[in-house]
Amino acid sequence: MKRFLLHRILLLLPTLFGAVTLVFILIHAVPGDPVEAMLGETASSADKAALARELGLDQPVLTQYIRFLGDLAKGDLGRSLYNQGSVSALIATRIPATLELTLAAMAIALLIAFPLGILAARRRGSGADRFALLFSLFGLAVPNFWLGPLLMIAFSIQLGWLPVSGRGGAAHLLLPALTLGMAMAAILTRMIRSGLIETMHEDYIRTARAKGLDERRVWLKHALRNSLISVVTIVGLQFGALLAGSIVTESIFSWPGIGRLTLQAIQTRDYPLVQGCVLTIAFSYLAVNLATDIIYRIIDPRITYED
Amino acid sequence: MLLSKTLKLHAVIPLLCLALGFSGCARSADDRPPGALVVALESGPTNLDPRYATDADSERIAALVFDSLARPDRSFRPQPELAASWDAPDERTFIFHLRRGVKFHNGKDLTAADVAYTYRSALDPRNRSPKRGILRFIESVEANGAYDVRFRLSAPFAAFTETLTLGIVPQGTPVDGSGLVGSGPFSLEEFRRGERIVLKANPSYWNGAPRVSGVVFKIIPDAIVRVLEFRKRTVDLIQNYFEPDMLPWLEHNSRAVVSSAQGTNFQYLGMNLEHPILKHRAAREAIACAIDRDAIIRHILKDLAVPATGLLAPQHWAYESSVEAIHFDPDRAKRLLDEAGFPDPDGDGPLPRFKLSFKTTNLDLRKRIAEALKEQLARVGIELEVRTYEWGTFYADVKKGNFHLYSLEWIGVVDPDIYYELFHSASVPPNGNNRGHYRNLEIDMLLERGRREMSIDKRRVIYGEVQRILARDLPYVPLWWWRNVAVMQRTLRGFELYPDGNLISLRRISFATPAG
Repeated sequence: MKRFLLHRILLLLPTLFGAVTLVFILIHAVPGDPVEAMLGETASSADKAALARELGLDQPVLTQYIRFLGDLAKGDLGRSLYNQGSVSALIATRIPATLELTLAAMAIALLIAFPLGILAARRRGSGADRFALLFSLFGLAVPNFWLGPLLMIAFSIQLGWLPVSGRGGAAHLLLPALTLGMAMAAILTRMIRSGLIETMHEDYIRTARAKGLDERRVWLKHALRNSLISVVTIVGLQFGALLAGSIVTESIFSWPGIGRLTLQAIQTRDYPLVQGCVLTIAFSYLAVNLATDIIYRIIDPRITYED
Repeated sequence: MLLSKTLKLHAVIPLLCLALGFSGCARSADDRPPGALVVALESGPTNLDPRYATDADSERIAALVFDSLARPDRSFRPQPELAASWDAPDERTFIFHLRRGVKFHNGKDLTAADVAYTYRSALDPRNRSPKRGILRFIESVEANGAYDVRFRLSAPFAAFTETLTLGIVPQGTPVDGSGLVGSGPFSLEEFRRGERIVLKANPSYWNGAPRVSGVVFKIIPDAIVRVLEFRKRTVDLIQNYFEPDMLPWLEHNSRAVVSSAQGTNFQYLGMNLEHPILKHRAAREAIACAIDRDAIIRHILKDLAVPATGLLAPQHWAYESSVEAIHFDPDRAKRLLDEAGFPDPDGDGPLPRFKLSFKTTNLDLRKRIAEALKEQLARVGIELEVRTYEWGTFYADVKKGNFHLYSLEWIGVVDPDIYYELFHSASVPPNGNNRGHYRNLEIDMLLERGRREMSIDKRRVIYGEVQRILARDLPYVPLWWWRNVAVMQRTLRGFELYPDGNLISLRRISFATPAG
């Protein structure tokens, strides 16, 4: 397992390096001037030049890139252009909100997808199966910016059960988590259904039944466990997508997470903050992928990565 | 059941616990202090330190926390606030006599040393204040005893009074955003960037204690959600931050009180005067005559604007009332183009006289306005190619002069010296915002005189002439001034709309019945 982990982490390094380089290039390619963003349009040319010198922005891009890598290695993501605060500290204050939303969305997606997927597979062709397929079609087709306000109108305005937006207790979490988790629930429902249907035709299932095992035990212990590999893949990929894709949901629900901070940084042209947010999202995505690989190995010890 | 054991216990419950664990750490978004007012904002302030506050939300909220030497009235004349009065012994010296007995929220007396410190720290290049640019005419600022402050300017500069709105902080206040204490009607209790700002009433405010216990500014980025929050009564007031289309719905579905008044935000059509066609005044006038502002205002802006005659709105002390609005007259536009040597090659046929590009942002409302302009100009034979961009790309192009036509708005205009920045030939980028490269010696001389002249009556004459010349030369085509609109719950009393959208009347606001 140690060798496996080391191998995966070593593979991760070039990806990380690529992501960091890409973010640096993108930030330098977008139009706009961080010096003007800080000093305002009325600043004199001398003041602008002095600040550019101080920030090292008058240096060649390669020099700036090397300095950027050095700062990053020390965990220094720079300072926000507007409130002079540390970008790392700003991001750290937003991580709990995004994790809370993402984990809740994931939990909701699993709570919907497993029972529905299993039910659809067990009663293939029935009304329940058709409902599951319809649900997954709906979940995939409906965009978050439409579903969010629709849920608000239903549950917050018409029924008055839940708050409209903002972060607070569990009641605040339900609608944004449902909005964010809906697409994932739809994908997982389909994956679980098709995975189970395929697995049920395997020889070992016939053997288990021949041994006289209870049908429920056959489905849940033998079939479900063996179809989990593809589900874990999707969960891993989707979890990363949830972290990155929470930008829309966080904006709709005024949820103070990384997604909204990213959007706000883009709108105010706060370049160091945009850079920090994008890197955080990229790192999270890679970390989730690593975790997925480790979970694979735990579920199925036969998995190796030696090509 | 086996199912619940396998799934819920092993996978889902830990996720939920983790999520709810984080959720338990969060403060409820509906934490409304008793008797406090809740105001919805779109993006919220970036920095509330008055030395750094430059965006509209930051300036409006900072003005509730920090008093300044003076504040413009409805006609943009400076009125005393912390300064009870001021003298100008010569054209370069101003002495401000501070009001006595004013205290910061921490109980400390506000003195001349605090005023001098605030201005000096904003001027200190090490502090990188974006306000340094507009304060550059201040050569020195000294405390003269406890209650007199002496400003010395490097040259006579009439627009100096515009800088008197800088909020005053106690001596020694760091520039990292910590320990922000003011002397205004509200004190800053909490500032969560992009989330909420909580202000608490200052019961010992020198100009009368606020009538509400505090104000919560809730940042709600989505326009629909702001309206839904208002409908649920978790928001009491929204000023300007809604789409024009939503206003009729709000009026009919939420028993809201809607009030509106003309604002000063000025929308214009900018033109590149170095373009071979647009350098002809007749072509610019033809474009101005071809635009049906009334139709755009009525159908797209839902009457949330009024046709403009120029940069300064009618409320402004320097507004020139003899300048008339340009009337929609497509026949005159065609005639002007014919006379200027741009005939229509096939009469009313499909071929245009000439083609121009129009740059705008990719916001829905801007795109709809662009389409309307395209259609209107096509009727006089001008083909408009609409190009929409993300804000950063669009603005970078405008600043570089990479455009034929574009549309933007000027907000927060206080002193008419802004004309120098926009139309003096020395203000061509990168030295100013004369982006269309307009050059007129007469205008240059008037703007230089207006900048040096300290008498408001003489300045009014100078800027009146400036407005008449610009209305003739049309380096900008004036489009409209936006109206300010506030939607508030019926229980609110005392809110007033100001032309520049400031929120200073929040200190006089009250609830007819207890809030919530």
